[in-house]
Amino acid sequence: MIRLENVTKSYSTEVVALRDASFDIAKGEFVFLVGPSGSGKSTMLRLLNREERPERGAVWVAGRNIIDMPPSRVPHLRRNIGNIFQDYKLLSNKTVFENVAFAQEVIGKPKHVIRQQVPAVLDLVGLAGKEDRFPHQLSGGEQQRVSVARAFVNRPLILIADEPTGNLDPTTGEGIMRLLDRINKTGTTVVMATHDQRIVNTMRKRVIQLDRGVIVRDQARGVYE
Amino acid sequence: MFSRLTYTLRETFAGFKRNVTLTAAAIITSAVSLLIFGLTLLIQHGFDNLLQRWEGGVEMIVFVSAGTQQDGLDFISSTLQDQVNTGTVASFEYCDVTCSLADADRVLAGDPTTRQLLDETNIPTLFKIVPAESTEVEFLRGLKESYQQLPSVNSVTLAEEQLDLIGKLQGFVSTYTTGLWIALMFASGLLIWNTIRTAMFARRREIEVMKLVGATDWFIRVPFMLEGLIQGLLGGVAAVGSMLFINWRWTQGVQDFPDSSGMTALVVIDGYQWTVAIIILAFGALVGMIGSGIAASRFLDV
Repeated sequence: MIRLENVTKSYSTEVVALRDASFDIAKGEFVFLVGPSGSGKSTMLRLLNREERPERGAVWVAGRNIIDMPPSRVPHLRRNIGNIFQDYKLLSNKTVFENVAFAQEVIGKPKHVIRQQVPAVLDLVGLAGKEDRFPHQLSGGEQQRVSVARAFVNRPLILIADEPTGNLDPTTGEGIMRLLDRINKTGTTVVMATHDQRIVNTMRKRVIQLDRGVIVRDQARGVYE
Repeated sequence: MFSRLTYTLRETFAGFKRNVTLTAAAIITSAVSLLIFGLTLLIQHGFDNLLQRWEGGVEMIVFVSAGTQQDGLDFISSTLQDQVNTGTVASFEYCDVTCSLADADRVLAGDPTTRQLLDETNIPTLFKIVPAESTEVEFLRGLKESYQQLPSVNSVTLAEEQLDLIGKLQGFVSTYTTGLWIALMFASGLLIWNTIRTAMFARRREIEVMKLVGATDWFIRVPFMLEGLIQGLLGGVAAVGSMLFINWRWTQGVQDFPDSSGMTALVVIDGYQWTVAIIILAFGALVGMIGSGIAASRFLDV
């Protein structure tokens, strides 16, 4: 599903975010990217979204090298990738329903499909009955659930999560992880960057550890260390 | 398709509400610049009316008294032919009753009362004279004096007498009003550009989310372009309304000018104002759309 081949990405001559990184992630895998701040986790996620392009190497997503992909095809790539952020990135002027529907609206899904799929995904993330609330009327955990619902509503092949539990208390964070695990069990590949040692150690999924842009560990059913 | 259209219209309308003062400023500026643009075209057209009889190098017009018989016309013709033969006049052309009535339609366009007094029986016909290139102005003035003595000649007018003032006026209009509307149009384009830039900055988070969930750049750009197009179009509508009002007031007022002032030709009543109205609307919409399109493309990476 995802393959990085000798990827190097730098932001200046002094700042090398990724150095000769290579790995494969199969369809349906759940992978944690761990490492200290500035180790290259977010850069790696941005490369998968084609928000960044590397100086060297290839990034394969769903069978296509996205480095050579023309800009006009990038939106189609992103429709197969759901994104979850530490700060949720919800639109404050839209309700829960509208925030989730927005992800479908902007790719031209018909209204009747939106009316059918949005309540279903809100039910999946445990927000049934809160469709008309605005983000500021929700707790942090609930806001992150909206973010997960928005990322998942188009049934992407891959879910990318950048520190999704970073702003949440441990109990709420666990709830989000259970949700991501459920989504992963539907066959969606999940790649998650995190600092949360407890979550990584509890989940016992594959762990890719980065240090100053270099992959220093790639362990199946790994722990944080 | 329908949901995309609904989305586009909703976002366009929301953009207007979000940015009321800047939007109003952009519309007013484009209205003023388009008004000056439209008035420039109308004034140029008015000058064209006035100068049409002098087209083709005509430097002198000999007006023949109304009711002159054929032998009188033949005499003037043969006198002019003599000048052609001597090389001081390059060519001349007789403008008969029909031609002279058409000429009067243009010259007296702003003075229908006087125009109504003229018909086939009393309109002075005219000879249009193109002097040779080497002919001096002083010599032409002498010719004028001699032609005025000819029987059946009502009056003789030299181009320099009318063209000097008109030429200066036309030059002023061409230079300054054109410069003014270009500058104002540029300012209006910048204001529209700035409105869209501000709107995009205000919505940068939304745009970021849109891009990450797979919206195409065109999908994001179109509501902004539509917003700019409508701003330009609204400016155009205001400009057209003002232009038609000013044109109507001018057409009414010009009747009070004396015929000899030439100002009675400086009106547009032949439908050209509607052509200008369409040009203004199209131009306003185009500038708005291009300005916002550039701004949207420029700031799509927010």
